[in-house]
Amino acid sequence: MQAIEYFEVECPEARGGDNYRQIANDVLLDHNMLRVVHKIHVYIDPKVPIFVAVGILKKVTTVIKVGDIANVNPQEGKFTLAISDETYLAPMLKVFWDKFGKDHVDQPDRFTVILSGISIEARELEEMVITDPSAVLYKDLVYSLRCICPEGFRVRSENYGAEKFSFVASEDLLTDASLALVKEKFALMGETP
Amino acid sequence: MILVPVTYKGGVYRHNEIIDLIEDLGGYIVQKHMIAQEVVLQCFVPKEDVELIRAIGKPLAGEVTDSPLVGTEIAIVSMSLEIHHLPHPSCDIAEYVRRLGAKSNMVGMARGVGKRIAGINDEERDVINEHDIAVYLMGNFEHCIEKKMPILLRGIEVPVVVCGGPDKEVLERIVEPKVDGYVGNMGRFMHRTKESEELSRLDEVIEEVTRVLAKKREAIAKDPLSVAPARLMDVIKEKVPAILEVTSPTPLTVQMAGLRVKLPYDTFAGVLKKTEIEDGIMIGDIADIEPSRMRDYIILRVRPFSETNTVI
Repeated sequence: MQAIEYFEVECPEARGGDNYRQIANDVLLDHNMLRVVHKIHVYIDPKVPIFVAVGILKKVTTVIKVGDIANVNPQEGKFTLAISDETYLAPMLKVFWDKFGKDHVDQPDRFTVILSGISIEARELEEMVITDPSAVLYKDLVYSLRCICPEGFRVRSENYGAEKFSFVASEDLLTDASLALVKEKFALMGETP
Repeated sequence: MILVPVTYKGGVYRHNEIIDLIEDLGGYIVQKHMIAQEVVLQCFVPKEDVELIRAIGKPLAGEVTDSPLVGTEIAIVSMSLEIHHLPHPSCDIAEYVRRLGAKSNMVGMARGVGKRIAGINDEERDVINEHDIAVYLMGNFEHCIEKKMPILLRGIEVPVVVCGGPDKEVLERIVEPKVDGYVGNMGRFMHRTKESEELSRLDEVIEEVTRVLAKKREAIAKDPLSVAPARLMDVIKEKVPAILEVTSPTPLTVQMAGLRVKLPYDTFAGVLKKTEIEDGIMIGDIADIEPSRMRDYIILRVRPFSETNTVI
């Protein structure tokens, strides 16, 4: 967890807290959240019951371009793209279909895409934007927090701003006191909500 | 003749000789897996003949190992079937007990999660009670386990092993009503069990399950069953040909004191009842034939000697 500057799990039950620290670690790692979470503080009290996660996000400004995931090889009358990272292959094909039409886009195998009969410079193709990961960041983050949170805590309050997020969940109705915990936990990180 | 549960692992080449040998010695093949060039036979064999099978299997690259869980059906009770509990640790444990010969079924509860809201319904209760043993996989907080266990154990009649995040001693103290086995440090986690420390905890689960089942076996031995479930399996295989058409991996699942028959109850309950085992004794005479809560299967519960006065 070196990528996260502040990572704390607070729990009145020591063993439970340790296990939840491991769970939070695994989930953030599995969902590739380390690149976006800067600080996170998790508080769980099964007696209340309440789960609070507050944190600060890193700025994610990079958009994914064709050149980031594929090597563009200009050939006579066509471009052959050798895919190096499949993660964004589907949105890339969608962009190509929309821009060039399906007739000009061919994928003979898993890691190769051929664009034929199109008029575009290689440089321009490499710079073409496929997707903006920050657009789905909120969805991914909330999903990860739901995975960390005990499953029975189904009454949730999720807040997300440009830099900060808070997630409060419980089995029972959320009261003002439970929502006030957000401020308290931000203060522990030296931040304000 | 005392039958012991063993697993035979060997090559496909001439494996039929081993099957014939086991059957000739009076043993029963409970399950047969063919995996590429390997054959795995889970079987009951006479105790005094284990060495003979080992000796005959040796030239065929066969290996005979003790499998205390062969012939048992285990319910792995997960608090839900959500990503929180699956695939780890529920599937890890279910897969691990399978390696030792058990037939494991995952029971995902509809409302097992939470503390105040946790509950068990009649279908879940009945399905769990159809197994030989239930392994409850609980979470990490002792407070929650303490609050919800009395509710989740309501109506459960089979032996139970509780796994949870707190230490074994803590579980023994907090779980009410008391159950048969406890495994600590085995709560909810979100990664694959691959480190030696985690694998040793899976071994602990197996140890505890084996210990509890051994106690159950002892109890059964005091009032023996009228017929061995493995034998009943052979009889059904021979006399009810419809079972050979069933595509399920275990059309007949052997339990310690019964058998799950994966045929529709309405059509086949009568047929099974009138199937003769030996000397005019029908299955219906020595076993209760009931509809299972699992799909439309049939569950046979073999009655003990004290009730039937018959042992075949």
